[in-house]
Amino acid sequence: MGFEHFWLAGFDNLRSGFWTYLAVGLQNGALYGMIAVGYTLVYGVLGLINFAHGEVFMTGGFAGIFVSRAILGTSVGSGFGSFGILILCLIVGGMVSALVAVGVERVAYRPLRKRNAPKIAYLISAIGASYFLQTLAGKEFGYGQPLFPSQVFAAGQVMFTVGKTSVHTITVVTVIAGILALLLADTIVRRTRLGRSIRAVAQDAETSSLMGVNIDRTIMTTFILGGALAGAAGFLFSLQSGMVQNSGTEIGIYAFTAAVLGGIGNLRGAALGGLLIGLFGSFSVPFAFEGNAQWVEIYTFLILVLVLIFRPTGILGEKSGRTA
Amino acid sequence: MNLLQNKHVRRFGSTLAIMAVLTVMTGTAGTATAPPTTGLHGSFMEHVSYFGLFGAPRWTVMLTLTIVVFGLATALSTYGSKLRKQTAKVTALRQRVTSNPALKWPFVAAVIILALLVPKFVTQNFWQYLLVEQVGVWILLALGLNVVVGFTGLLDLGFAAFYAIGAYTTAWETGVLPMPALFHHTIPTLWAIPIGIGAAMLFGVLLGTPTLRLRGDYLAIVTLGFALIIDDFVETQAGVTGGGQGTGQIPHFSLNVGFAHFQWGLDPIPYYYLCLFFVGLFILIFLSLEHSRVGRAWVAIREDEVAAESVGINPLKYKVMAFAVGAASGGFGGVLTGGLIGFVTPTLFQYQVSVNVLVLVIFGGMGSIWGVAIGAIVLQVITSYLDNYQPWGYQLNDLYMYIGALLIVMMIFRPAGLMPSSRRKREFKEFEENHEGHIDEVLTGEQV
Amino acid sequence: MSNDLIFDVDNITLRFGGVVSLKGVSLQMKRGEILAVIGPNGAGKTSLFNSLTGVYQPQEGTINFISHEGNVTSVIGKKAHQVSRAGVARTFQASRLFGALTTFENVKIAAENHEGLGLVGSLVKGPATRRGERESDALAIELLKFVGLGKEAGKIANSLSYGARRRLEIARGLATGPDVLLLDEPAAGTNPTEKLELAELIRKVRDDRGVSVLLIEHDMKLVMSLAERLYVLNFGSVIATGTPDEIRSNPAVIDAYLGTTHEETNA
Repeated sequence: MGFEHFWLAGFDNLRSGFWTYLAVGLQNGALYGMIAVGYTLVYGVLGLINFAHGEVFMTGGFAGIFVSRAILGTSVGSGFGSFGILILCLIVGGMVSALVAVGVERVAYRPLRKRNAPKIAYLISAIGASYFLQTLAGKEFGYGQPLFPSQVFAAGQVMFTVGKTSVHTITVVTVIAGILALLLADTIVRRTRLGRSIRAVAQDAETSSLMGVNIDRTIMTTFILGGALAGAAGFLFSLQSGMVQNSGTEIGIYAFTAAVLGGIGNLRGAALGGLLIGLFGSFSVPFAFEGNAQWVEIYTFLILVLVLIFRPTGILGEKSGRTA
Repeated sequence: MNLLQNKHVRRFGSTLAIMAVLTVMTGTAGTATAPPTTGLHGSFMEHVSYFGLFGAPRWTVMLTLTIVVFGLATALSTYGSKLRKQTAKVTALRQRVTSNPALKWPFVAAVIILALLVPKFVTQNFWQYLLVEQVGVWILLALGLNVVVGFTGLLDLGFAAFYAIGAYTTAWETGVLPMPALFHHTIPTLWAIPIGIGAAMLFGVLLGTPTLRLRGDYLAIVTLGFALIIDDFVETQAGVTGGGQGTGQIPHFSLNVGFAHFQWGLDPIPYYYLCLFFVGLFILIFLSLEHSRVGRAWVAIREDEVAAESVGINPLKYKVMAFAVGAASGGFGGVLTGGLIGFVTPTLFQYQVSVNVLVLVIFGGMGSIWGVAIGAIVLQVITSYLDNYQPWGYQLNDLYMYIGALLIVMMIFRPAGLMPSSRRKREFKEFEENHEGHIDEVLTGEQV
Repeated sequence: MSNDLIFDVDNITLRFGGVVSLKGVSLQMKRGEILAVIGPNGAGKTSLFNSLTGVYQPQEGTINFISHEGNVTSVIGKKAHQVSRAGVARTFQASRLFGALTTFENVKIAAENHEGLGLVGSLVKGPATRRGERESDALAIELLKFVGLGKEAGKIANSLSYGARRRLEIARGLATGPDVLLLDEPAAGTNPTEKLELAELIRKVRDDRGVSVLLIEHDMKLVMSLAERLYVLNFGSVIATGTPDEIRSNPAVIDAYLGTTHEETNA
C-alpha cells in the first residue's frame, strides 16, 4: 500500500510543480549536452573516455568566476551590461578550458599515442590527469567550499512567470546559451573543413592520414571544441550552484550518460542525450525516496548501466549484429 | 615558426612549464574565501629562506631549477646511452637473482624473517600502528586489486567498495551499527573475518555479473559511478550505516579456541602479526592461482579475449571470479581495519581510496605479486611520512595531486610498473611494436 | 567418409545496420570431409565463419552443429565459448595468438579448458588437478610435435615466423578436441614451400586425427588440390557448390571472379 501511495504522491508532486521541474530539467539538460559534446567527440576520434573532461569543465568555470569577480567585484550586474559580462565570462571560460583540454591531450594522451600504448594505459593516464587537476584546483581554491561568481545577474532574478511558476533569468540564459553552443558545434562539425577532418579521423584514421589529414592537429581541434563548450557550461553551472573542485566528477558522469544514451560519437546524440537526461533527472525528483536527491543519481546511473548493457550504441548510434 | 620547432627551445619550454606546475603544486594553498589568485600568487611570489642565509621569491628558485634540470636533460640525451647500459646491468642482475631457483628460497626465507623482526626495529607505537593501518592493510588491498587489474586486465575504479564492505560487515555483525546484526546475534570480532570476506566476495559477484560484460573503458566508468553512488549512500543512510559519523566501537579481536586464548587490545603489534599471517596466506593463494588453470585463463583473457573465447574460455565467468577473489582480499583488509581502529566511517568508501589502491598496483607492476607488494610498501611509507611530517610546504590533500601525476608519468615511461613480471613487460613491448602504424587499432582498441 | 552431416546451415541471413552480409545462405558439411568456402573479397566468407562459431548472430535461419556423439547444438543463440566447447575450433585471419606467452603455453591454455575444474580445484591442487595438468601438458607437447613446432615450444609466440604462427594456431585449435576445425585463410601471407607444408598438415589433421576441416582460402591452386567440395559465395549468397572440377567449369563462378576483381595473388 505504501508503494502505491508513493507513486501517486510522486505524480501529484510532478503535476503541481511541472513547470518548475521542466525549467530545471532544461537547464540541466543544456549543461549536460554541452559537456557531453566533449566526451562524444573525443570518443569518436580517440576511442577513449576522457576522464579528465569533468575537470576541464571545472577549470573553465573557475576561470569565468575570476573574470566576473575582476569586472564586477561585489556589485551586481544589470541590464545589457549583464549580458555583456556573461558573454565575456563564457568566452574566457571557454578559452581557458580549451587550453586545459589541449594540455591534458599533450601531456597525458599524446605521448601514449606516440608509443602505441594499449588502451588501459590511456584510461589510467586519464584518471591520473583528472585526479591531478581536481586536487590542484582544490589546493588553489579550497576543498569543498563552492566558489560563486559575482552577481552577473541579480540573485534570484526572475525573467518571466508561467502561471504560478517563476522562471529565473539564469535558467533562461543557460538554456539559450546551450542551444546556441550546440548549434555552433554542430555547424562546425558538419560544415567546416575542421569538422570534416574530425569526422574523417573518427571513421578511419589510417585512411584519413593517408589522404593528408593531419591527425595530431585534428585531435587537438577536437579537444579544443569539446573543451570550450565544457568551459562555458562550467561558468553557467557556477552561476547557479557555484563551483567546487569535484563538481566535475559528478556532472561528468551525468554528461557521459547523456553522451552514451544519445549515441557515443554522435554530436547530435550528445545534444539529444543531454536533453533527455536533464529532463529525466528533474522529473524523477518527486520519486526520490524520502526526498533524498541522491536517488536521482542512482536512477540516472541505472540508465547508464542499462544502455551500456543492452544498447551500447545509444539512440542515434548504429546497431550491430555482433554479440560482443 | 622555426624557433618553436627547435629541439632545445622546446625542451627548455617544457622544463619551464613542468617547473612552474611543480612550483604551484608545492606552493601556498588558497581557499574559497580568500581572493581566487591567492594560491597562485603565493606560490610564485612568496619569499622562502635558504638555509637561513638569504631569502628569495619562489619564482627565482623555479628558474634556477629549470636551468639546472634543462642542463641535466641535455647532458643525459647526449651521454644517455652510457647511463642506460649501467642501469641495464643492474636490471640484468636482478633478473639473474629472481630466476635462479637456488637463490629463491633463501631469499624468501630472508624476507619472512625480516618481516617477523620488523617490530623490533619499529619501536614507536605511533609508527607501529601506522605499519598495520597504512602499510599492512594497503598491501592487502593492492594484492586484491592486482588480481582484477593485473592478472585479468579489468580496470575497476570502485575497489574501495569491497574494503568498506568488509569493514561495515564487521561493524554490523558485532552489533555496533544502528541496524541490528543478522538474526540479532552478534559475533566475536574474529568471526567477522570469514563473514566479512564472504560478504565482499558476494558483493563482487553481484556487481560483476551484470557489469563485467562491458568493455574495458565502459567497465571503468560504471565502476566509478557505482563507487560514487555507494559513497553517497553510506553517508546519507544514517539509519543503516551510522552515516557520516561512522559506527560505534567495534570490540577488538579475541581468540578463544580450545587452548589458544589471545586478546587483541590497543597494542598494534599483535595486529601486525595477524596481518602478516594473512598477507602471507593471500600471497600464497594468489601465487597458487596464478600458476593454475584459472590464472592462465585470466592471462588469456587479458591478452586477447576473442581468442580466449575461441578456445572455450568463458570470459564472464573468469572475470567474475577475478572480481570475487580480489574482493576477498579487500574485504579482509576492511575487517582488519575495523578490528584495529575500532570504528568505521564513510571515508573508507571514497573514490580517492580506490584511486590510491590503483596507484599502488600500477606503481609496483600490475600482475606481479611481489612487485605490487613491494611497491605498496614503498609508496605507503612515503605517503605516511609525507602526511605526518609535511616537509617543504606539503599539505595533507596534496597527496592526490602527486598520485595523479605519478599515474600519468608511469603510463608514459614505465607502464608495466617498477618491478613488472617479465611477461607483463613483454606484453607492453609486444603490443607497442605490433601496433606500429596501425593507428585505428590503437585509437579504438579494436582489431581492424 | 560417412554421409552424416556435421554442419547443417539453413537459409541464414545476417544484417549489420543497413548492410546485408549474408543472404539466404545454406550449407551442408559432411563429417570427415575437407570443405572450402571461396569467393571474391567481401563475399561474406568471414561473416559465415563468424556465424558458425557464435561470434555473429544471424537474424534469420538456423545453424545446427552435430558432434560425433550425435549431439545437435543450435549455434545461433550460443556464445562463442559455448560453441567452442561443443566441438568447433577455429583460427583467425590475422593470427590471434596469446603473443607474450610461449608457444607451449598457448596450446596448453586451450588444452586444459575442456573439462570443468574450477576455483577450488585450482587452489587445492589435489591429485585430480595434478593429473589434469599432466594430461594437458602431454597433449600440448603432442600437438606441437604434430604441427612441427616441437622445437619451438619455449619460444615467445610473437617471435615465431609467419608460417609457424599459423601452425601454432592450428595446434591450439586442435587442443580443444574439436570435431571440426575452421581455418580462416590459413595460407595468407605464406610462401610456396610453407603452403605445401600447410596443405600436408591440413590433410594430416583430417586423416590422422579425424577432424573435419572447413577452410576459407583465396589461393585457388591450394584450394583446388586440397578441398573435396566447395561452396562459392558472392555478395553474401551461395552461387555454386560442388567438387573442384564442377566449380572450375561453372560459368557463374567464372563470371563472379572475372567480372569483379581477379583473384588475389598471395605474396
